[in-house]
Amino acid sequence: MKKMMNIIMLSCKKATELIEKRWVTKLSPVEKIQLKMHTAVCGQCATYEKQSEIIEKSLEKINKQENVPMKLSSEKKEQILEALKKTK
Amino acid sequence: MKSTKENTKTLFESWVNQFSDELFSWAFYKISSRETAEDLVQDTFLSAYHKIDSFDGKSQPKTWLFAILNNKIIDHYRKKSKQFIISSNDYLQQIKTTDNFFDEHDKWKKAADNDEQHWLDNPEFNTILLGCIKDLPENWQFVIQSKYLLDKKSADICQELQITMSNYWQISHRAKLLLKKCIELNWVS
Repeated sequence: MKKMMNIIMLSCKKATELIEKRWVTKLSPVEKIQLKMHTAVCGQCATYEKQSEIIEKSLEKINKQENVPMKLSSEKKEQILEALKKTK
Repeated sequence: MKSTKENTKTLFESWVNQFSDELFSWAFYKISSRETAEDLVQDTFLSAYHKIDSFDGKSQPKTWLFAILNNKIIDHYRKKSKQFIISSNDYLQQIKTTDNFFDEHDKWKKAADNDEQHWLDNPEFNTILLGCIKDLPENWQFVIQSKYLLDKKSADICQELQITMSNYWQISHRAKLLLKKCIELNWVS
């Protein structure tokens, strides 16, 4: 019975691992059930699950944003022009 | 009458003036190092100069230069990933730094003191998050950057870093835990 419980009830560490694993690869049906059961009773992991999603989505958004226009320093520009001049 | 070579030089001069800012912005955005981005832009122009014969004039010069730059960026990441492979043994040690998130029964040590709802409300969230990413160990940053900046599939990242899928999501897991902690620490509500 205890062994059964161990299979069903994940530790928080393991649960957070599964939460992250899901962003990388698919969970097995057993893992899915394990995670669902854990977050149903563990508030902290349920919070972590949401936080993880927010971080993930924000990273995606930040990296999809248009890059801010920047200027190449005039020194570097000169340097490039100089290098081009020297090239045969 | 000017020689072809001189014509090419004049052409490049105008390209440097016209496109170098845009090329630099793009490189900086992908690499987040000013110095490296500058060097990549220079390399781009020099490579372009050497293979100007392959520029058929059908595409826009800007498109052509960007294609060259993108290859340089990918090469840069590739070289970096080689360094990563050498140091990937360290990652097990770095993982230990996240072990103190959980107690001996692998339960959370500390109750979470702010909930995710507040995270969404804070306009500073992205700034905090970016700052926190810079605090991660460099090779973890690399894992996160490969995923988003290069828009790569997990399998490709694993192949380039020569790590298994399971190592990869373990690093993601640990990185995420550190990010969560860092965000909570830097929280100004």
